Amino acid sequence: MKILVAEDDFASRKFMAKYLQKYGDCDITVDGEEAVDAFLMATEDEEPYDLVCLDVMMPVLDGYQALKAIRDIEKERGIAGDQAVKIIMTTALNEEKNVKKAFEMGCTVYCGKPVDLDKFEMALKKLGLI
Amino acid sequence: MAEEYNTDGMLDIFLYESEQLLENLQDIVLANKDEECFDEAAINEIFRVMHTIKGSAGIMMFENISKVAHKLEDVFYYLRESHPKNVPHLELVDHVLNVSDFIQGELEKIKEGDNPDADPEKILSELEEFLDRLKSGIVKKGKELPPENTYVEPSQFYIAPTGSDGKYYKIAVYYEPGLEMSNIRAYTAVYALKEIAEDLKYIPEDIISNENSGDEILNDGFHMLIKTQGDIDAIREIIEKGTGVAQIDIYESSVKEFTLGFRDDIQETDVVGMDDGDEKQKDGTGKDSKEPTPGDYVIKSKEPGKGKKLAKQQSKNQVKQSFISVNIGKMDSLMDLIGELVIAEAVVLQNPDLKVPGLDLSNFQKASAQLSKITSELQDVIMAMRMMPLTNTFQKMNRIVFDVSRKLGKDIELEVIGEHTEVDKNIIEHISDPLMHLIRNSLDHGIESKEERLAAGKSAKGKITLEAKNEGGKVYISVRDDGKGLNREAILKKAKANGLLGKRNPDELSDKEVYQFITQPGFSTKEKVTELSGRGVGMDVVVKNIQAIGGKLEIDSTPGEGSEMSLKIPLTLAIIDGIVMEVGETTFVVEIGAVQEFISVTRDMVIREPDGDEYINIRGEYYPFIKLCDRYHIQERSSSLEEGIAAVLEYEGKTICAFVDKLVSEQEIVVKPIPPYLKKISGISGCTQLGDGSIALILDIAGII
Amino acid sequence: MVDELQLDEVLEEEEDTQKDMYMTFKSGDEYFGISISYVNEIIGMSSITQVPEAEDYVRGLINLRGKIIPIIDVRVRFRQEALPYTDRTCIIVINVKDTVVGLIVEKVDEVIKIDKSNVIPPPSLNQHGGGSNKYVCGLAKAENGVKLLLSPERLIQDEDFSAFAEGEDAEGEEEKE
Repeated sequence: MKILVAEDDFASRKFMAKYLQKYGDCDITVDGEEAVDAFLMATEDEEPYDLVCLDVMMPVLDGYQALKAIRDIEKERGIAGDQAVKIIMTTALNEEKNVKKAFEMGCTVYCGKPVDLDKFEMALKKLGLI
Repeated sequence: MAEEYNTDGMLDIFLYESEQLLENLQDIVLANKDEECFDEAAINEIFRVMHTIKGSAGIMMFENISKVAHKLEDVFYYLRESHPKNVPHLELVDHVLNVSDFIQGELEKIKEGDNPDADPEKILSELEEFLDRLKSGIVKKGKELPPENTYVEPSQFYIAPTGSDGKYYKIAVYYEPGLEMSNIRAYTAVYALKEIAEDLKYIPEDIISNENSGDEILNDGFHMLIKTQGDIDAIREIIEKGTGVAQIDIYESSVKEFTLGFRDDIQETDVVGMDDGDEKQKDGTGKDSKEPTPGDYVIKSKEPGKGKKLAKQQSKNQVKQSFISVNIGKMDSLMDLIGELVIAEAVVLQNPDLKVPGLDLSNFQKASAQLSKITSELQDVIMAMRMMPLTNTFQKMNRIVFDVSRKLGKDIELEVIGEHTEVDKNIIEHISDPLMHLIRNSLDHGIESKEERLAAGKSAKGKITLEAKNEGGKVYISVRDDGKGLNREAILKKAKANGLLGKRNPDELSDKEVYQFITQPGFSTKEKVTELSGRGVGMDVVVKNIQAIGGKLEIDSTPGEGSEMSLKIPLTLAIIDGIVMEVGETTFVVEIGAVQEFISVTRDMVIREPDGDEYINIRGEYYPFIKLCDRYHIQERSSSLEEGIAAVLEYEGKTICAFVDKLVSEQEIVVKPIPPYLKKISGISGCTQLGDGSIALILDIAGII
Repeated sequence: MVDELQLDEVLEEEEDTQKDMYMTFKSGDEYFGISISYVNEIIGMSSITQVPEAEDYVRGLINLRGKIIPIIDVRVRFRQEALPYTDRTCIIVINVKDTVVGLIVEKVDEVIKIDKSNVIPPPSLNQHGGGSNKYVCGLAKAENGVKLLLSPERLIQDEDFSAFAEGEDAEGEEEKE
């Protein structure tokens, strides 16, 4: 599985990478813009990501902006439904309105921090990623 | 666990909404339990509730809840689509309530931070079996089954954060005076702490770049805010490894304090609140209605030591809510403090220093009057804050009556009056169990079986009335049933057997007094013990619970017609207006409401009976005359009747006259319980501290009479 | 005003070694000891409010910084005659299973460490009469003499008290639900 992680906090970044390593190759970016760039690059190289993990609070572009950009890129190329990449947003924000907005914009899983690893794994299974 | 209940969190909303839905569900079911079947509206509503819960539980990956809700939704789907006749109604009702209970149980676990891990198999197979019967019934009638109500997995999921084991601490590190490069040492500490820190803030921040930060550290200490799974010892150990550390102070902190960080020029914002500029939410519900916009969360470059700061200028979160949930511990502290304030106020206003003769205290009086007024208002507001309606408590009883009456094979309805009556939260907590017990008693022992009732010319359906009302600073709650009432003879017999009668002549006891015997421990005239009401260890505990909140239980009954258990509970538990009186060296206080008048006593007013009881003649009426010094064996100070004073006290229609040496003052007092270590003293219901620090005993008139 | 010796400040021992530390005091001709773990603080004599209908050894209540606590006279508890209270008379405030009680003692001595090896069980005779022996759970050899170690539970417990009475507790527990 190809995984893209966007996380500006060093500790969280390390944590996510270490955890996700066992499921596939992880590419790490440190802000929203880098993440979108990486996604675009992979898509153009025809080696798209299967899973994107986005932090919400990041420099340059935040998680929502990155989410929108990625979904827009997919729409442009006619990538939809099962083909569209699964996007997991991780964040300490847990208000209902934040979650609703994320879902509206096409986020697949909204994961509150600190991450419940059991549920995270369960979600990955449900999404057919593992 | 979060200190404050964040009512906007995804999980909290899920829990809240689901519980509301389940409550609606229960209401619908109980409202329709006596019907032949659920009508269309009810079916639709129940379907909708299950569908909603299934959906939201699915998104949050609470599999058990989702599966069970789906199964019941399935049942109601068929009911809705095919309208089968002769559906076994009571069985269906049972199934719905079972599902409701199951889901409620899982929700409780989630609330507590545990896993919702109940096994749904039993309930699923029961529902499956019921559904099969239903389906075959439909098919037999020649109807076609509607298309399958397949379970569609949600495509988006929400994962709630784990109860963070991360705790927050505030650390202050002080180095040896004159220590060189303290800023570098501070940095070493920071670096070492990063091993265990989920997040870390510190001040001064520029410890590496600014050499002069070392001075600030030496003068004011190096301060840190840390979020970590580790404990205080772990933190201390890490910091201690550094050299030159003179002192380390570590305090527990909170997520709020951590988020606010250290005082800064730039306003630290509450990261959780997201809004455009100064827009205030003007939503009718008071809830924050602004949607997050992409771009709201872009971070300014992160500076070491500071929390994440958003690029957008944020004003402090002004979420206006109509209600906030407050930790009960805080409310209790508030109550205690207001009590202490009342005492402290008395200490000031009655201070011996003020008793210097010749002092002009007119300004002081004015100021102290103002102080008293404010303290009084503060008291009122705090009392009001703690008031909650009895609704929930009473609603619980509905379910109990339903379940128990079914189990016993009796047909009993519960009438609820005055459920919106408000009482102090403390009372609600203590009243639930006693009420449940009283209602169970009525269900089990009070109301007769259908046959007995019909034979006695009563309606087959029994009735229990639960009523609450507020009057004169007290709450009255009563449980009435139209059952067979209490048996005076049987009670007297048992009382005698238990040695409770003593020397008293049973014939002289009023009915009410006889009935009170059932509140004695170990009392039960039922030969058989039923699972529901127990062995008779119940009533005394009920009474104890009621007394713990300062209340009283009265029992009345008419044989053949029913019984009534009345609870009388004072609203304002802790602070009462009292009259302070002295008897010898002992100081008593009596509640002002109980005092009718004070009168001087002359010898000719007092009559002495041969058995030692005394009575006093006041304007032609005779009342029991009780010398408190005799009653409590106190060394009297005033030896003659003429020198003392008598207080005419009234309680529940009974009037007595208590003789004391001296009246001291009228003041507000804070009621404190007599330390439980001491045996209960009849006639004394508590104690209090007076303005001069001395202790006064609070008279309980009912006990003296 | 009240003098206070905050023992928490005096002792910075860890919980474990607290068990070997005893507060000793004199009553009559004997010296007694109570494990420090029960002792909250020691205060000087304070004005006691009498409580009617209490046991003879329950002297009454005192106001300790806002908390109202009951006071027992240890001598009376030992069925000895109460001595008049002087300015050396102290009150040892103890906490036994969340019950806070003050003990009036004639004279407070020092806090000493008594090793378990120096403690022998009390003589099994003299259980009658309700003398001090009923409350003694061990005899300790200390440098300056023998101390009678008291069991605080037994000291404040009385057959009549519902606080610790087993029978009532059991019944109460049953119906707690």
